[in-house]
Formats: sequence, C-alpha cells, structure tokens
Amino acid sequence: MPEPEKPKGFLSVVSAGEETKVEMLSASARKAFPEDSAARWLRARRKLTDAGYGRAVCDSYTNYSIACARIVGPEPAIELADVVSVVAIKCGRKAAETLCFAAERAAVRLEDPPRFRSWLSLMQRFTALAPESVGSVLSRMDELLSQLNVSRLESWLLAGVRSAGSDAERRLHYFSLEDHEAQRWLQREAGEIVFGDVEKRLKGFLTALWRLRVPVREPHKSAPEQSRRRTSFDRGLIRIPASYPGYRGEQAEEIFAAAMAHVGAHLIHSTTKFEIGGLKPIQIALVSLIEDARVEHLAMREFPGLRRLWLPFHIAQAGGALTAPSLFARLSRALIDPDFQEIDGWVRKGRERFYEREDRWDDPAISREIGNLMGNDLGQMRVQFNPRTYIVEPPYRDDNLGLWDFGDQDAPDQEEAELLFESIRVERQEKEDTSEPDRERKEEQEEEDEYNVAAVSPEAYQDAGIPVARYPEYDYATGRERADWTTIVEYETAPGRRHEIVEMLERHHDLVKRISALISATRVGRPQRLKRQPEGETIDIEAAIEATISRRVGEMPDDRVYAKHERRFRDLSVYVLLDVSESTNDRVRNGTSSVLDIEKEATALLAHAMAELGDPFAIAAFCSNKREDVHYFRIKDFDKPYDSVAEANLAGLSGGLSTRMGAAIRHAGAELRRQPTHRRLLLVITDGEPSDIDITDQRYLVEDARRAVQSLAHEGIDVFCVGLDSGGDSYLSRIFGRRNAVQIDRIERLPEKLPMLYLRLTA
Amino acid sequence: MSDASEKRDPATLLDDFLIADEPYYKAVGNEIALYTAAYAERMPIMLKGPTGCGKTRFIEHMAWRLGKPLITVSCHEDMTASDLVGRYLLDSEGTRWHDGPLTLATRYGAICYLDEIVEARQDTTVVIHSLTDERRILPLEKKNEVVAAHPDFQLVISYNPGYQSVLKDLKESTKQRFGAIDFTYPAPEVEAEIVAHEAGVDTKLAQQLVRIAERSRNLKGHGLEEGASTRMLVHAGQLISHGVPLGEACQVCLVLPITDDPDMRDALNSAIAACS
Repeated sequence: MPEPEKPKGFLSVVSAGEETKVEMLSASARKAFPEDSAARWLRARRKLTDAGYGRAVCDSYTNYSIACARIVGPEPAIELADVVSVVAIKCGRKAAETLCFAAERAAVRLEDPPRFRSWLSLMQRFTALAPESVGSVLSRMDELLSQLNVSRLESWLLAGVRSAGSDAERRLHYFSLEDHEAQRWLQREAGEIVFGDVEKRLKGFLTALWRLRVPVREPHKSAPEQSRRRTSFDRGLIRIPASYPGYRGEQAEEIFAAAMAHVGAHLIHSTTKFEIGGLKPIQIALVSLIEDARVEHLAMREFPGLRRLWLPFHIAQAGGALTAPSLFARLSRALIDPDFQEIDGWVRKGRERFYEREDRWDDPAISREIGNLMGNDLGQMRVQFNPRTYIVEPPYRDDNLGLWDFGDQDAPDQEEAELLFESIRVERQEKEDTSEPDRERKEEQEEEDEYNVAAVSPEAYQDAGIPVARYPEYDYATGRERADWTTIVEYETAPGRRHEIVEMLERHHDLVKRISALISATRVGRPQRLKRQPEGETIDIEAAIEATISRRVGEMPDDRVYAKHERRFRDLSVYVLLDVSESTNDRVRNGTSSVLDIEKEATALLAHAMAELGDPFAIAAFCSNKREDVHYFRIKDFDKPYDSVAEANLAGLSGGLSTRMGAAIRHAGAELRRQPTHRRLLLVITDGEPSDIDITDQRYLVEDARRAVQSLAHEGIDVFCVGLDSGGDSYLSRIFGRRNAVQIDRIERLPEKLPMLYLRLTA
Repeated sequence: MSDASEKRDPATLLDDFLIADEPYYKAVGNEIALYTAAYAERMPIMLKGPTGCGKTRFIEHMAWRLGKPLITVSCHEDMTASDLVGRYLLDSEGTRWHDGPLTLATRYGAICYLDEIVEARQDTTVVIHSLTDERRILPLEKKNEVVAAHPDFQLVISYNPGYQSVLKDLKESTKQRFGAIDFTYPAPEVEAEIVAHEAGVDTKLAQQLVRIAERSRNLKGHGLEEGASTRMLVHAGQLISHGVPLGEACQVCLVLPITDDPDMRDALNSAIAACS
C-alpha cells in the first residue's frame, strides 16, 4: 500500500481545511486525485476508517479507489466510499472489500465515468434488495461485465430478485449461479441464442424434412451439467441444450439446426436399438460413431444440403496425437468429409471399411460390425481410451444414449449402467472451460429418473395441470419485457354441480326474462333493405320513377336507383376472464354467499345472454401461484356450445391463490386474437389488485397488466374490466384506462348489472 | 346483355367461351374418364382439393376435350344471387334485364364452373339447387321467367376442404347434389413432369423443386395453412428458366407468399437448403 513519500507543497493543500491527522500521500495517489479532490478523498477514507470497518476494508478502498480514479476520474472514486460504507453495513466487511476490487474491474470494463456511476448506483440498489447475495455477485463482477453492459446487468440482477422474491436463500442460490434459471437468464441477457429463441423454427425444420413431430425439451433441471451440453433423444422425446456456449449469432442457429437434423436422422434411420452384449466402452463409443456417420449419410442421400450444415462443425485436423479422442474426431470427419486427407492408417481403414459397405448402409448392423473391428484395431494399437473423459465430437451430435438398449427394466443394472454411461459420457465442450474439470458423479440414477418423469402418463397430468404457454412479463423498473417469464398451466375444474346454475337462473327468473326482452330488441342480425344505392340486386322502383321523371323534364337524374338487402351481422366475439383468487372467497350479502358465487351467477346470466344473442364467446378463470404456475381454467371455448358441460365447469370453480393478471390477460388475448370477427372484446372480472406471493413490489404487477392490456389494444382487441373492489379506482384505471373499467360498489348487484353492461358495451 | 344477346345468334353467342387450344393437363388418375362419364349424364360435379393442384386446369382441359364452352365464376364473399343469376339495369328506354353468368350458361348450354363456391354467401349458393336435381331449371323470380337448362349445360364447383373455417362450409343439402372428384398433389415423378413441362425446366431441377415442395407440405397444419402448390412450383421453375438462381426463386415463389411468420420462413429456408 501507498508508501509515504515526501508530500511537500501538497501537504499544505490537503491540510488546509482538515483538522484531522495529515496523511502522507503516494505519488500515484497524488496523480489520481489532483488538487482539491485529494482532500475529499482523504476525508472519505477517513470516514471509512472511523466507522470501524476494519483495516482490510480501508486498505482495499485506498488501493482500488486510486486505480478507479485513474480510469474514471476522482469524483466517482470518492463516491465509491459511500457505497463501500453501505455495503459494509448491510452485507459485512468481506463484501465491502470485494466491492473495492470489483469497482476497479468495473472501471476497467466500463471505462467512462457516467457508466461507472450507474454501475455504482446499481450496486447500491442491489445491496438494498438482496444484501446476502452482494458478495457473491461482486466476486463475479469481472465475468459478468465481460458479458453484460450495465443495463443488462441490471436486468439480470432484477430478474433474480423478482424470481426469488423475499426468499434470501433462493436469491443466494440464484446469484451464485447454482440456479439453472440464473444461467439461462444470464445467457439471454448476454445475447446468446438460447433454444427458446429458435424452438419454433427448429421444430418446423424437423417437420419439414421428415414430418417428425417430436416434443423437444430443454434438459431436465436436475440433469448433470455435462449432459446438458449435448442433445439426447429417447422414448419420443428430444432434449436439446439451452444453448451452445461459444457459438454466437448465426453460428449458434446453425449448430441448433445441425443438432436437430442429426437427431432427426437418428429417429428416421436408427430403427432398432443396439444390444449392449459384451461390448467394451471403447466399442460402444465406436459403434455409436459409425452409426452417427451412417444415419447422416442416409439423410444426405435424401437431402444433400445437410452436408453443408454439418461439415463446418468437423474441425479435426489430419495428423496429430494418437489419442482416442483425437482419432475419433478425425474418423468422424473422415467419414463425412470426402476431401479430408487423413494420413493415419487406422482412420483410413475406418473410412475404407465404411465405404466398402456403401450398398449396405441401410442396415444398422454394419455400424456394429465396423465399430467392433475398429475397436479391436485400436486395442492392438494400445491406444488408451478413458470413458470418463470421452467427448462426443463435434458438439452438434447427440450423446447416443438413445441408440442403446438398456434392457427391459427401468433402472439398468447399476454396474452395467455406470460402465455404459461412462463410455458414452457426454462431456462439456472444450471451448468453454469456465468451470472445474470432472467431478465424481452418480448421475445415472438421476438420468433414469429424468426419463421416468418424461414418461408420465397423461392421467397423472390431469390433476397436476398442463403447462400450455409461456408469456413475457413487463418490468417497469427496467422498462423491458422479460421473455418467457410466466407459465400458464391449465387445470381442469372440479366437477361442479350444474343444477346450482340452473337453480340460480330460476331464482333470477325475472331478470332472465328482462334480459331476453332486451336482447330481442337489440338483436341486429336482421336483414335490412338499403334503398337508393348506386348498385344493387333490385331496382328501387320509387327512385327509378323519380329518375325517369327527372329525365323527361330534362333534369339531371339521380343514378342511385337500386336497392339491396344486407344482413348486418353482429361481428363480435367476447372472452370473459374471471379472477378466482383467494379473496373471492370473502363473504358478502350478509355472509350468505361469497364473491365467487356472485361472479358465477353474473357469468351464468351473461353467458345466457350471449348464447341467446349468438355472439361467439369463451369463458375462462385464472389464479396464480407464483410466476411458474398461473392456473388457468377453461369454462367454455369459442368452438364449443354453452351447454351443461360449460355450466358444470362454471359451478365447479373454487377460489384460491393469487391474481397474476397480466399473464392471464396475455393468454386470453392469444386465443381471442384468433377469432375472425371484426370486434373482439376481453371482459375481465376481478375483485382486487394484481398480486402474487413472489412479488413484493405492489406496482410491478399493475404495470405488467397495464402493459398486457396496451399490447392487446394495439392489436385492436378491446379490454374492459368490471371491478368488484370499491376502492379499486386507482389501479383499475391505471391498468385498463379510465373509460375501460367500471366499478360495482355493491357486489350483490353484479348479476343484474353485468348483462346490461355487456349489452351497452356491444350495442 | 339479354337484348344484345337476342340480336346475336344463340349458336355463336358462347363462342367466346370456347377453348381453342388444348390446355396442358397430365392425368394423375382416372379423373378424365370419371368426368367424361359424369358429363354424359350432366351430373353436377364437385372438384375437391388443395389450392393450386390443378382443379381449374382440369376443367379447362375437359371443356376443350368435350368441345363445350366454359363459363367460370370466381366466388367471393360479397357475391349475391343476382351476381350469378342476373339483374335489371337501367338504360335510355327504361329497365333492361341482364343475364348473369349462371343464366347465360343455363340458357345457351355451357359448363358453368363456380370456383371456390364456399366463399360465396350461403343464401347465394341455394340458387343452384333447382339446377342440380332432375328439374334442371333456373327460376328468375324478378323477371318472372323459368329458364330450362340447355342440354349441354352442366354445373361444376370447386371446393377446398379444410382451408375454410367451420363457418364457411357448404350446406349438407348443397353437398349432396354433387358427385365429387378428389384432387391431390400428383405423385412426385408426375408432378416433376408437370413442372418441367409448364415451366420449361429440365427434369432434374423439377424433381428438386418437387422435393422442396414436399418439405413445405409436411408443415401443413404445423405452422403453415397450406404447403406449396404445383402452381407455385411452376412459378419458381419459370423464374429459374429466366436465369434466377434456385435459392432466390424458391424465396420468391415458395417461401414469401405462404407465410409471414419469420420462424416458419427460417424453417422453410433451412429445409430448402437441405434439399440441394
């Protein structure tokens, strides 16, 4: 640390207004803090010393603030002291020390003072939001800033805070990057192409080539890091890595397409699974390799252009070490690349054997045959093969697990499985080596579990709900939408008692009659005769006579002498979205019924009206349990009649959980969008403010819902809200706009008001 | 036109609708024989199949083969019964009746082809009912006239199932008046031959185009409403014969017209790249 040097004239400047002990400044410090900034820097340092954070924090600050000042100027470096102090108080001395170090890295990365300042204020905000994770994030700051700029860093940090909510342990889990989600979001923010970005086109690609519709998933969360780096297929399911680190932009899209095409080739041409028999790991690896080449060649016979897709990923060079991985990679290339000049005898022999059997490429048995021969040769060459470190190369190829028959039982024999698994072990790509080498693993059991999970029967899903869609969520704090943030899970309603609805309609007999009368008055589906038209199906006699008279008396006749019939249809579809969160269980009407009961009554009456009018309509209800599980209940779909099933669904609704309104609105909007009518109306009935248990910021979900409503409005979908919360003025008009929300102060009047409101809205 | 047409000789009135040169048509099954037999009985016929697979070309070919005039009406959703049957118009003398295309065909004996009939409003399609049973008459209510069909008259409609929404389907009572011939895309070799002939490209290129089309037909219902039709392949082939590179021709004729979804476009492009 700064060795005291001769301060000389400088001292007098520093000590001018300073009654504290005068420090001796190093030349470097003097250079970093010229003139009066030196005094302020000293004062800031003094404050840190006096606060008693310990010598390490002070030293660290002194050290790194000088470095910072040199890059971003003295002011931000002095401001750093305040943040150090805040961090020291909230997160401890260790974190404060790390902050100084991280600040220096940030200064190097960010270079200019405004950006550094915004980073600094971000750190201060983050300290308030997730104090326990500050140390962990700071220690990774260099790595983070190498991928993200400050605003993206902010997005990523806030995403973590949002996703973990008030659970400190979960936050720490996220920010120490142990959470798979955290990685994913980091990749997304870093602009890497993740599978989600290309999913639709990859699936389309696979369908276009082979008419294959296989579900594609990202690797299971619990799968070991290594097996998340390669594709895998089995039992009608393809798993594909969320991203291929190291590949960016177009190349990343290419590798996804290459991987997909490779798996597709397997699915079409690897028709039977290989028996493991007495094969050694090296032979298993080689048989898989030959099989890879075989299916690729068969696919290329049909689609020659696939060679252009696959070839660039074969980067093995001729010659080189006589190690198994190198030889394997070269053999892979030799088999697909006719121009590859390999000098090694073993590789050449492999190529010869493969092409000798060109007329038998249809037969998977040749893979086994050649693989065995090649394995034996390699054994004689005494080339060592380490199944633990073996990597399937190039990275677009799959882990080959799907090629082998594990036997009938679900969990293969422990020892055998281990051997197998190791032999065809998937390794992380060499290019990115951000983490430590092999750890001991016991993943085969997990892996099997994973497949079992994938094979869950549809019956089991019914209680659990089926995830149907993911939607973004808008974060007003960053002004950006976070893609795929919420998951809509469809549940079936409990079988309800339909007669409740029927009874209710009978109870409201008068009202039903009044509504029916109103409807027949407003029904506008009748044909209208339009007279005096410039063209039409018939002559408008009166106009024709007038025209003739005009002509006879020498006037200019009116040429609009036709009439036509036109049927003016109600061109409208309606989506009714009910909030069935916990609060709808509140009792009203002197405790005789709940808010939900009244919602149901009102909806039943409304549905009755809509069915009579003949407007296409759908009804759904929602509640939410954090962002990953937004419950969605379909009561009636557009293409189904409003019948006893729909009534029973409606009766079966029960209240619970929270109100994540934005996600539900997006989902309803997505369905409404497909309606071909001229007008489309989304009618939201809610009894309270949007909220969810993973969100502490009241404004967040309100702003998100507002955003969802706005984006529907852009598409010409009207969103109207009926609020059952007499105090809800502020947020309802914020979300829906003042004109598109109505308050019903006495909830018990909803059933009669709702249909009237509807008629008024749609007239 | 009725006045005008009365002045003309009814025998030559429909000459404009006769097809002089043989329209190229490559049979994919026994549809020519089926249709010839149906025409002998003047049975109303429905041609079913995806767009661009050759329905219109087939009926043109058959009209030529049988030597009958062909009156084609492309139906649209604003089409009224008057558009088919005819209406009164005004002229200097007063009102004048104008025969619609259907009346014209009925009166003077032509094959009347209503293309994409489901597009027309349902109240419009019922006017064909009396023409499509053994009555074979067309009542013109407004003119107070009943037109008995000319012996040569036959009604043919085209119908594209699956492509329209549920709301736009033919009434059961309409459907059951017709015999139907089902059209699909021809087998790959036949389709290649057609593309080669129509676009004037060599067979190898035509085969490649057909292989590309199969890719996009695989996507029907999985992101695409409809796969690339034979007509689109002919278009692509025509561009290629003018020196446009294959990739661009496919882009212009096979990808951009059928989808606006960037993901589907990418999927198609990758698939096209894989084919060559």
